[in-house]
Order: sequence, then structure tokens, then C-alpha cells
Amino acid sequence: MSEWAGPGDPGREVDLDRVWLNVAAGVWCRQPRGPERLAGQVLRSPGLARALVTTPSLLLGWIIATVVVLLTGAVATLGTGTPYVPLLAPAVAAAGIAYAYGPGIDPAWELSQSMAVSDRMVLLVRALAVFALNALLGLAASAASGIAAALTFGWLLPMTAACAVALAAATLTRSANIGVGAGLAAWIIVVLAGRAATGQFTAAITAPALVLPYLITALCGGAIVLFATRIPRGTS
Amino acid sequence: MNVELTDLTRRFGRTQAVAGVSLTGGPGVFGLLGPNGAGKTSLLRMMATVLPPTSGRMRLLGRDPGGYGPRREIRRRLGYLPQNLGYYPGFTVAEFVEYFALLKDMPASQVPRAVATAVERVGLGDRARAKLRTLSGGMLRRAGIAQAIVNEPELLLLDEPTAGLDPEQRLEFRALMRNMGQRATVIVSTHLVEDVGAACTEVALMDMGKIVFHGTPADLIARGEGTSAAGDAPLERGYSAVLAAARSAVAARA
Repeated sequence: MSEWAGPGDPGREVDLDRVWLNVAAGVWCRQPRGPERLAGQVLRSPGLARALVTTPSLLLGWIIATVVVLLTGAVATLGTGTPYVPLLAPAVAAAGIAYAYGPGIDPAWELSQSMAVSDRMVLLVRALAVFALNALLGLAASAASGIAAALTFGWLLPMTAACAVALAAATLTRSANIGVGAGLAAWIIVVLAGRAATGQFTAAITAPALVLPYLITALCGGAIVLFATRIPRGTS
Repeated sequence: MNVELTDLTRRFGRTQAVAGVSLTGGPGVFGLLGPNGAGKTSLLRMMATVLPPTSGRMRLLGRDPGGYGPRREIRRRLGYLPQNLGYYPGFTVAEFVEYFALLKDMPASQVPRAVATAVERVGLGDRARAKLRTLSGGMLRRAGIAQAIVNEPELLLLDEPTAGLDPEQRLEFRALMRNMGQRATVIVSTHLVEDVGAACTEVALMDMGKIVFHGTPADLIARGEGTSAAGDAPLERGYSAVLAAARSAVAARA
């Protein structure tokens, strides 16, 4: 406002453009709400916090659809005794992760790739948010089904915890790669420690029952790499 | 030099999209011309650090984008408008520009004023609070340009920026490019040779992944003089003549 000319000060002119820009700057920009402000402080990046609240699979419509699917499953489970909730829950969580980020999913993905805030950090933050939401829904669904409780405590909550460790390490080191490494290392330590505590350390490698999960994990990893490195059509 | 490319290539399976491009560029407006599939978009995407090169050497703003730290620093100083601009339909113009200002790691205190300035520069001040889903194609393009310039980039990469703009808006956009080009390296990929003639200080013509011409717009015009090359304007005739010569050279080698 120092640009305003005072009375009897004809030498100073009002720079209306500058005044307008200051007004527009105050009026146009979005005021972050509580969760976004908190995320910005925790993650030490307002950009990452904004990327979190734009997660496609965390938009209101998606969350409502998720709740409806799990509620329907819970009602059906209670009514028929068939364990629909544990059948539905992994699919819902997987879809939430699949629709969290990527080409064709996030409208601004191509642009995000050229931004200073790492796309891997965006993916990590969104994955944690999706897991956390699904863990909460899983806890609610546990009231309807014991199998849902096993699924929630055996899978969703540990995944959320591993993801949170990865994000914390990534935020501290400003490197998503280090974060993912830390998350995986923490998870392996927990699994192996559990095996060692029960005197079955070598079974973590040799147990025939683990061959299928290991194979599925490897296939999923391969699929993710193929998906992440695939060539978008029409790019040349 | 803001851009230094040495023998840059990019392959997509069996397709060679960019085949050994070498370029250097400082401040100014640089036009990238060429037919569809010539490799312009792939080259721009590599310079935008979206796509890693298959081989070759690239230095942007004096840094090697291969390393995480330098790449992040480049991205802070980069503006990029992709050919297909993705957007969140529920965002307003100002929110859209603000989002990318934040992702470019701009200091939060500077963001509101930078957003207002960018939105006004592209003439969208009166639509700043309109949802993106309500905008026309030309307005969306201008919103895309606003996000590209919001951080006053030192390297500005624009892929078909004038697509969808009306003649008046194109004139204003050319003025904006010239203005940006005084301080930054502006690289514009376009099909419209008149944009190149009006705004660019240098021009390169790509065909089949290679640069087949590099010079000033006047040089390109000169290449068309005295030939029977197709085109309604001198630049178009230069463009046609260079392309025809490049293709006949390839055919002769084959």
C-alpha cells in the first residue's frame, strides 16, 4: 500500500497493477484446511501436503464408494455367515492403491513428473493415506467379522505401519528411495524377529507354505516395475 | 549455456524417437519445428526431465539431471507445458497454478503473489476463480502456460502452446514469449511456422528424430528461396525445402 500517492504528492503515482496483484494474491489462493496444514508441517512441504489432498482415490466419492462396499459386505456377512468382508477388503485396498497415482490415474501426472517435489514422495504419501484409511475401515469391519479382524491386524495395520516408517525415513532424509528401503528393512526385521522368537528362523526361507506368498510378491514387484516403466502412447 | 545436449537419443522399443540430437542454447526463444512423429515431444520431455534419455549427454542450467540433487534444482527453475495438459476439473485456475507453484518448491510466502502475477500475465484474471471444467480449450491452455511461468523459470519448455488460442491470444502469447526470452531459454515446439517467424530468435527443424536444420528464421526463409517448395509464406517454403532435402538425402543413402 506504500505505492498509494498521498494528497498533495503529485510526483508519486498509484501503481494500480501492483495494488491489484496484492489484492488478487490474497483473494484467489486457496486457504489450506486443518489436515492439509498439519500434513504440510509434518512433511515439511506444502507441495506434498497439497498432493496428498488431491489423491484421486481419497476424493469424497471414492471414500463413500469404499464405505458402501464394505458396509454391504458387513451386512451380508452378518446375514448369511459368508465372509464377504475379508473377500472384499483386500480388493478395495488394492484398488485404492492402484488409483492413488500414475499415468491415466492422476490427471496431472505428466506435469508432476517435472516438479521439484519428488513423484516417489507423492506416491509414498498417498500410499500411506490409502492404507491408513483402509486400516480404519478394516477396524470398523472387524466388528462384523472375525476374519476381517485377522485381515486388518495381519495385513492392513502392518502395511500402514511399514508405509509410515518408510515415509518418516523419506521425509527425514528427503529421499523416497531411502524411505522405501527403511520400510522394507523394518518389515523384514519384524518378520524375522518373530520367526526367531518362535525358534523358526530358517523357516522364513525354507517353509513350503511361504513359497506362494514370495512368488506373488515377486510377481507384483515385476508388474509394478513394468507398469512404472511402460511407455505412454503417443509420446513421440 | 542453459541447454547443452550432446548426441542425445531416445528409443521406445524398436522405434528411435530421438536419434543423436546435439543442441546448445542460452537466453532467447528457440522454435522447434517438424512434422508429427519427428521426435519434438520426446526431446522436450527429456529436457523436462520427465523422460530419461537412452544415451547421450544432457546438461540443463549448468547441471546434470541424472543426479537427484541437480535434477531437483533444475526442476525448481523449470517451466513445462506438456502437449496434453492434465488438470483437476474441480480446481479453480488459481488453485491449479498454486498447486504447481507449491510442487516446484517455491517458498510458500511467495506463492500467492506469483500465482496472481502468472494468472494476470496470461489474461485469465477475470476467470481466476472459475473451475477448470468450465473453461474453454484456449483458456485451459492459458492456465497451463500460467503454471509453467509461475516460478519465473530460467528454462521454459512449451509443447504446442498456441493450440486452441484465438489469433488475438496468439499475438499476446508471442509477446509473452519474447518477454520471457529476454532472461530465460524458451523452447517452443509448434506446428505453426508463423509463431516461429514472429517470436523466435533461433529455430531447429526435426525429422525422423534428427535435427535437419538449425539457424535463424531468416536462414530458414533463405533455404526456401528460389525453390519450388510448397508453402504460402516464405517460412513455410523454407520448412518444406529443408524437409524435402533431408528426406531425399535419406532416400539416397538407402
